[in-house]
Amino acid sequence: MRILGIETSCDETAISILNVSEKSVKVEQDLVSSQIPIHQKYGGVVPEVAARSHVPETVALITQALGKKGMKAFDAIAVTSGPGLATALRVGIEAGRVMAMLSGKPIVGVNHLEGHLASSWLNAENRKRWQYPMLALVVSGGHTELVLMKEACKYRIIGQTRDDAAGEAFDKSAKLMGLPYPGGPQIAKLALEGDVKGFDLPRPMLRDGSFDFSFSGLKTAVRQAWEPWADVRAHGNATLFEQKKRDLAASLQQAIVDVLVTKTISAAKKHKVKGVLLVGGVSANLMLRERLALEIKTQLVGVAFLPSDKLYVTDNAAMIAAAGYWRLKKGEKHDWKKIEAKPEWNL
Amino acid sequence: MESMKFIIHRVEDWNLLAQQLVQRLPSNAVLTLSGPLGAGKTTLVQAIARVLGASQNPRSPTFSLVRTYKLANTSPFSTLVHVDAYRLESPSDAITLGFDELAAEDGSLLVIEWPERLGSILNALHKPIVRLTITQDSGSEVRRVDFLMN
Repeated sequence: MRILGIETSCDETAISILNVSEKSVKVEQDLVSSQIPIHQKYGGVVPEVAARSHVPETVALITQALGKKGMKAFDAIAVTSGPGLATALRVGIEAGRVMAMLSGKPIVGVNHLEGHLASSWLNAENRKRWQYPMLALVVSGGHTELVLMKEACKYRIIGQTRDDAAGEAFDKSAKLMGLPYPGGPQIAKLALEGDVKGFDLPRPMLRDGSFDFSFSGLKTAVRQAWEPWADVRAHGNATLFEQKKRDLAASLQQAIVDVLVTKTISAAKKHKVKGVLLVGGVSANLMLRERLALEIKTQLVGVAFLPSDKLYVTDNAAMIAAAGYWRLKKGEKHDWKKIEAKPEWNL
Repeated sequence: MESMKFIIHRVEDWNLLAQQLVQRLPSNAVLTLSGPLGAGKTTLVQAIARVLGASQNPRSPTFSLVRTYKLANTSPFSTLVHVDAYRLESPSDAITLGFDELAAEDGSLLVIEWPERLGSILNALHKPIVRLTITQDSGSEVRRVDFLMN
């Protein structure tokens, strides 16, 4: 079965075709707008596009994904229905509705968060060890959630951020330190040669007994820690300035990873899960991956560690198609006339 | 035009500010929040949401750009629309993102962080705007909040 995945919930426009059979799951097309040069998308003609407009992107990417096969390129459609920005969501949904109406093929609306969960399932090794109940740590620029996956398509959010997401904490701290956007990868790179004990940063809510997070206070802590050093370079000591920057990056990464890993491990213990998923853009962070893998190995014997491939950690449509497949397999399909945007859809 | 000052010494002070602010907000108001990263803009929105009986505790809308919360029946507003323009690259982005649609809804309280990034779009809304600015001296945790209504 070939599923056409459509994702337009926030910044990215993404289209994919996922081929699922008894034996295999194959991503045949995986197009993400920001990663394709403009002249390629529009066949050499660059239209006058308003910034962040999903409309021309969606049309261009679907055309490219379907190729000569046209409507025969897929058997079903999966489209992100929420959560996200209403205006952005509606573009993908309208595209999906038109395709469903013209082709007569089934369509399902998918929750973006469930898509992130399914990104782990795209990995063949992970599928072999897929056994409920599982716990997922979803970490990105907009999400920091601990999701208990009791059985297929049955979820409960047992913890989440009360203010800023983990990815936001990376980005905004980087901004405060004068680093270019996006901050996460910059922090990780600098941290490699920094001292994690260089600065004493808080671990918010680490031992409060809940599985919730709070990263907002880190901004203030980073700003205060950085203030005395921000001017050091101006006073001629560039070496010290660079070293302090690396130390702060290392201390910050350590603080964020400590909280994420500690809470994930204790939630996994409490709910006696058989696997732990790590998904979302921040899961590309190597230190987070390694620390979580290590703690699972030592503290949760026999529990599978199931991170998604780095290819699918950020927003993409292959994960939406995968989640759509889960839903179709359960017998779910939606009337194209009734499918609508749900900007505040909780998993 | 009315202007006011408020000093925040402790976290709890945000609640007092929110209570006073809500009483003064005209219906259909747009509230803009200016101030550097970590000044307390989202913390203030959380306090406002508590005062108005929001369905959920607001989380940062930086990545999602907009988050909407239903408010209690007793509240003078039906919904709280929390917008963050931090990630916008140009004011025209706001149109593509459906910002004008959000503003057109009656009965909602529109709260906007980083309004500077919207350029002159705000003035075109023809709604009463309450501008609030949070400042903080370096090395001090005390915040000074100025607000201006016109």
